[in-house]
Amino acid sequence: MIESLVPAASSYAADIDALFTLIFVFVGFWLILCEGLFFWLIWRFRKKEGARGQYITGELKSETRWITYPHLLVLVCDLFIVVGAVKVWYDVKQYLPPAEETVRIVSQQWAWTFVHAGPDGLLGTTDDITKVNELHVQVDRTYHYKLESTDVLHSFSVPVFRLKQDAVPGRVITGWFRPTQAGEWDIQCAEICGIGHGLMGARIYIETPAQHAAWLMQESPISIAAVTRTRPAEE
Amino acid sequence: MIRRLVVACACLALATLGTGGAAIAADLARGEVLFHYCTQCHGDAGGGSLLARAPAIAGLGEWYLQSQLRKFQSGDRGTHPDDVGGLRMHPMSRLLRSEEDLQAVAAYVASLTPSRPEPVVEGGDSARGAVLYTLCATCHGPEGAGIQAFNAPALRTTNDWYLLAALAKYKVGVRGSNPRNGTAMLMRGMAMQLSDEQAMKDVVAHIMTFADSK
Repeated sequence: MIESLVPAASSYAADIDALFTLIFVFVGFWLILCEGLFFWLIWRFRKKEGARGQYITGELKSETRWITYPHLLVLVCDLFIVVGAVKVWYDVKQYLPPAEETVRIVSQQWAWTFVHAGPDGLLGTTDDITKVNELHVQVDRTYHYKLESTDVLHSFSVPVFRLKQDAVPGRVITGWFRPTQAGEWDIQCAEICGIGHGLMGARIYIETPAQHAAWLMQESPISIAAVTRTRPAEE
Repeated sequence: MIRRLVVACACLALATLGTGGAAIAADLARGEVLFHYCTQCHGDAGGGSLLARAPAIAGLGEWYLQSQLRKFQSGDRGTHPDDVGGLRMHPMSRLLRSEEDLQAVAAYVASLTPSRPEPVVEGGDSARGAVLYTLCATCHGPEGAGIQAFNAPALRTTNDWYLLAALAKYKVGVRGSNPRNGTAMLMRGMAMQLSDEQAMKDVVAHIMTFADSK
């Protein structure tokens, strides 16, 4: 249902969508039932000629069951929601699968800086590739992210991943994602961070292995140097 | 017949002037409205703010403001990962959705009375800076008024901390390393002539001695 509005492009997006749908169905059911009952009661006991209003204390069992039965049923629904939410929370935020690659994400007013591992696949080495407002990742590859903020609170939000993580100044927050669908989508800041907050957007490029390798070759200074060095020999 | 022709031409000229004046007034009015966004960092009168790392812009040349806004919009300036102020200006410049808006806000900022920012940088020797400034004077003018023909902006109404920060950015390549921004690359070459931070402070101290007349 949600996927028809926003594509799901991460390994946990479907689980989050399922939880949202579950909450939507439960809440929607009770909303419609209660509002329907409410309006029916208003209509059923509307002002009538000769009928006097009554003061009901609500102490009789026949009256309290109008509260207790729905209450118990709502608690049963809550149980399903809580179990689903804890499972999703654990999978997305608590569990950290082994990383195949790590990307450093630096947020600041009002831009995202992404430091990608270069061809060596390691972050913090000389072949790292730094891009502003461009995150390049490979499909079906597990990434850890190290999220930082240099100034105020920001929130790293990738709607197609169903991922949202606050960035807090002074902290490096680790999380993960695994892209499942190639394409180009939005990244946004989801925490009011100043007058330029609404303009703090970036793009995520989820690439196939071949596309990603080509991008690495194009961007890596070491690769360019290597190509330059080998050119005379080739000639 | 000739008299009628002269009168008609005079009327046409006056009408054109009148329309032009109205257009300029409209631009300034539009620019004033748009300038509201800028005031958040640059201050109500465009006098700059050290806290927001936003320089004084009031009274800068309209041509320079336009060119920098276009560079920010295109990403030719303000997209280096270490350019904190630039990374703020890059998205903010995109609030100007049309060329007319860009020109209007540039015209308005240029019409503001230039401020004379208080010096905050310490340790500069303006006498030594005067010697070093001779190179800068080639493009920015002997008193830092800027020369449009060389794409060199006025310096004397800008904050000293901003000038120092800009020189430091040029030296390390945070500014002036984008091949699409030719004037910045040229400026980087000039900044490289300043051997160290003390030399940069000296030049800035000298610039701060210039008269603030427009």
